[in-house]
Amino acid sequence: MLNKTIVKLAIPMAVGALALTGCGGGDSGSGGDVYKIAFQGPLSGDNVQLGQNMENGIQLAIEQANASGDLDFKIEYVPADDQGLPDKATAAAQKAIDDTDVVAVIGPAFSGPADTAAEVYGAAGLAAVSASATRPDLTTKGYETFLRAVPNDSSQGAGMAKYLTSKLKVEKVVVVDDKTDYGIGLADVAEKSLKDAGVDVVRQSVPQKTPDYSAAAKNVVKNKPDALIYAGYYQDAGPFAKKLKEAGFDGVAMSDDGTNDQQFIELAGDASDGWLLTCACTDATQEEATKKFAADYEKKYKQAPGTYSPESFDVTNMIIEEIKKLHEEGGVERQALVDALRGVKYKGLTKEFSFDDKGEFTNQTVYLYQVKGDSIEYQGSVDDLVG
Amino acid sequence: MSLSEFWDFLVLGVVLGSLYAVIAIGYTLVYGVLQLLNFAHSEVFMFGGYGGLLALTALIPETTPSGMNSVLYVAIGMLAGAALGGAVAFGLERVAYRPLRRHNAPRLVFLITAIGASFFLYNLAGKLFGRNALPMPAMYENGTALTVFGAELTVTQLLILVSAVAMMVLLDYVVNRTKMGSGIRAVAQDPEVAALMGVDIDKVVSRTFVLGGLLGGAAGFLFGTNSQVWYTMGFLPGITAFAAAVLGGIGNVRGAMLGGLVLGVVETMTVGLWGDDWRYVGAFVVLVLVLMVRPTGILGERLGRTA
Repeated sequence: MLNKTIVKLAIPMAVGALALTGCGGGDSGSGGDVYKIAFQGPLSGDNVQLGQNMENGIQLAIEQANASGDLDFKIEYVPADDQGLPDKATAAAQKAIDDTDVVAVIGPAFSGPADTAAEVYGAAGLAAVSASATRPDLTTKGYETFLRAVPNDSSQGAGMAKYLTSKLKVEKVVVVDDKTDYGIGLADVAEKSLKDAGVDVVRQSVPQKTPDYSAAAKNVVKNKPDALIYAGYYQDAGPFAKKLKEAGFDGVAMSDDGTNDQQFIELAGDASDGWLLTCACTDATQEEATKKFAADYEKKYKQAPGTYSPESFDVTNMIIEEIKKLHEEGGVERQALVDALRGVKYKGLTKEFSFDDKGEFTNQTVYLYQVKGDSIEYQGSVDDLVG
Repeated sequence: MSLSEFWDFLVLGVVLGSLYAVIAIGYTLVYGVLQLLNFAHSEVFMFGGYGGLLALTALIPETTPSGMNSVLYVAIGMLAGAALGGAVAFGLERVAYRPLRRHNAPRLVFLITAIGASFFLYNLAGKLFGRNALPMPAMYENGTALTVFGAELTVTQLLILVSAVAMMVLLDYVVNRTKMGSGIRAVAQDPEVAALMGVDIDKVVSRTFVLGGLLGGAAGFLFGTNSQVWYTMGFLPGITAFAAAVLGGIGNVRGAMLGGLVLGVVETMTVGLWGDDWRYVGAFVVLVLVLMVRPTGILGERLGRTA
């Protein structure tokens, strides 16, 4: 009886093993070069949706590049999951570094992990191009291979303040951060910009995953502000928005690119209606240049592109193009690719990509969105709106 | 803090505290009969949230129900939450703890098993239900239900308060007035003598877990209604409720209720006075101060008698 079971199991396993070796042999036999692009971001954990938006954009770019026939090499995708947490960042980075075929990394997606992992990538001479880590000080720490392909939170915080003061003429604002690296960094900039514009600011902190947002909402309302800025992610903005509505908050509510996701509306329900959301990202379905991308994306993933999907798509294509140039010149080395990317001038779907000598993005436009009913509607760039 | 703000925060604190109290009972009951700190109870709570959520998602109509329909759906959600919580607690005892008791494993092994079971359960939930938070479907229009001393109570808050009090009264009755309750108390006092007197210890332990699980599951549903449901939602409320059980006197059911209320009020008052980053500082300062004066908690330890 027992022996029979073993035999039953052993046959398919042996066949499987043969099939696997067969595949391996076929691959190396064809002689094509393979370069891998890794993505470090939250592919599990509480903020998985943001990671998936980017992963989908990256995979779409890779798939289209491989299918285009322009490349005489093959690009492969490697996921490196850090759950968006700093303490998981080093292990995720090491996974990408240890795979010697990986020539560039997109990410780390979040600011906290980026701060932890950028040094590791620097030591390995591996380019880390983040399309979403927006904490301002990441580019001031001298990380050798870290490039930021997105406007930082200084622009986002300043953009929030600019819209509230110049357009809406608010006089008193409560700024709430979520005690994460990202939230505090963004809230600091927003607070400073508002104060510079002569606005009365009350600063509060509500740590992520607070079990009960009703007290926090009361704390906001009792200050009677004209506007609220919440610097954090959708998972907390959802219940916070609900409780603000219950507490009778009637001012302008504004949040950031961490909240700018359909999930926010799912969680907050009708309490999310009217929220203003800023983002360094454009809406792929709105801008003329990105409509084809949006259609391809929807066809493949059965959902509309999310926050930072088009930017990730752009960054991936930018890296592929540099890989292609180096490949034609003879070979792709990690360090050579870092140098190439530092000097890049790439026109993507969403914007022009180029970096200053610190690896900071040179284009600092911030866009505004607003929740209307069941959808997040694109309003345009803050500069255009303020006029 | 003005007087009206004081009432506002007090009411919020009592609502939160009554939730903590119901969760804390689960810790204290199990500690009473087994001297086991069942850290996986926070996951029983979390599964309760998903139980209510899944049942309601399957049954609730597109438009928000009103009137008696609302009551019906609330009842369905609560029962589903309690049922799944009870089932998880039952399974937990069977799979994780009973084999250890058979082998007379040392206390530390139980504790580590509890932590392991907790890890397993919340990762399982993450796999099964996804890692995004999910909103509880609306069972009613959540407006202001009534006003107490100028503080407005929403329907959700009133629901939490009323059902938590009802559960606590019911549980107090079960523990003190029924045959099952005397079984639980007997095992808590002296398991060996209770066994000699014909009490089936395995049965009593299993029922104790289920009882705590029912309450924890219902609390998970209420918590999810108040905020949202996600796979690690048990962690913070679980830790706080455990602290509440210790504060009231672990093993003591009425102590757990009192401890929960005290911690809920202290937390929320702290938030009102100094902001949300001080929430747990206030709560745990009170915990330490009380334990310095009364090391066995406000009402003293043990379900049966003080040890």
